[in-house]
Amino acid sequence: MKDFIKSYLLELCCSYTIVSVAGAFINMAMGTETNNANVVLMFIFCNIAVFVLSIHKFFEKLSPLAMIIIQYVVALVLCTGAILIATLFWGPVTPRGWFEFFRSFTIPYIIGAALYYYRLYREAKDQDEMIKEIQKQKTNSKS
Amino acid sequence: MKLNLFEDKNITDEHVDVYYSDMRPVIRQIIDSVNSERPTLSGRPADEDLDDGEEIILDPKEIYYLDHIDRKLFAYTENGVYRLMSTLASVEEQLSPYGFVRISKSNLVNIYKIKQLKPDINMKVYASFDNGERICINRSYKKSFTEYLQKMRRMSQ
Repeated sequence: MKDFIKSYLLELCCSYTIVSVAGAFINMAMGTETNNANVVLMFIFCNIAVFVLSIHKFFEKLSPLAMIIIQYVVALVLCTGAILIATLFWGPVTPRGWFEFFRSFTIPYIIGAALYYYRLYREAKDQDEMIKEIQKQKTNSKS
Repeated sequence: MKLNLFEDKNITDEHVDVYYSDMRPVIRQIIDSVNSERPTLSGRPADEDLDDGEEIILDPKEIYYLDHIDRKLFAYTENGVYRLMSTLASVEEQLSPYGFVRISKSNLVNIYKIKQLKPDINMKVYASFDNGERICINRSYKKSFTEYLQKMRRMSQ
C-alpha cells in the first residue's frame, strides 16, 4: 500500500506539472487566461487519470483492448461526476461545454490507445526477431 | 522396469549399464538421455490414469510448452500431452538455460519451438507453434520475457 501511494503521488505530481505547464504555454500563445476553477478541475482530472491508470492490475485477465475500454468508461464517468459536482459551485455547463469536454477527453485517449498498440506491435516484432535470431544461431552452431 | 542405483563416493568413472530384451523407445530414450547433457523429464500420457501406462522420458527440446492446470503439470509435445509429477517452478529452474521461459502464471514455453509472435486485434500477444497451437503472453511477464530473450541472444552469440 505504501508503494502504491508513493507511486501514485509521484505520477500525480508529474502529470499535473506537465498538464499545468502545457496549459500555461497554450494560454501564453493564445493570449488567454485561466481561472482558479480550471486549475482545481485540472488537478481533479489528473487525480482521476492517475487513479484509473493505476488500477490496470485488476484487469490482468482481460485483454488490453477490454482494459482500455473499461478504463475509458470509468474515467469518463468519474470526470463527468467531477464536472457535475463543480457545477454546484461554479454554475451550469452549456451543451457546447459538455461536447468540448467529451471531445477533449476522447481524442487524446484514442491517440494514447493507438500509441500503446503501436508500441505493443513494435515490441512483439522485436521479440519475434530475437527469437528467430536465437533459433538461427542454434541451428548454425549445430551444423 | 527395475532400477538399481548404487552410490559410491569414491568412484571416478561414473557409468550406466542398461540390460534390455529388445530396443524399445523407452530404452532408446534412456540411452539418448545418458548420451546428452540435457536434463530430461519423465511423464505419463495425460489421457491415462496415473497408475497405468509406462512412464515416458521426455526430451525438453521436444516440448512446445508446459501448462499448469488444477495443480497438475502438463507438457505439450508433437506426439501428445504428458502429465509431469513436478512443479512448474522446479521445471522452470531446471529448464531455464535450455530455452524455457515463463510467459504467464501457469505457462512455460520453449522459445525454440515458437514459430511466430504476433499481437492480436484485442492487443493480446500470442506465441504460435509449429503444430498450429498458440498461447497468450501475459503482459505482466512481458518485461521478464524480453530480458530472457536478450540474455539468450547474448549467450548464443
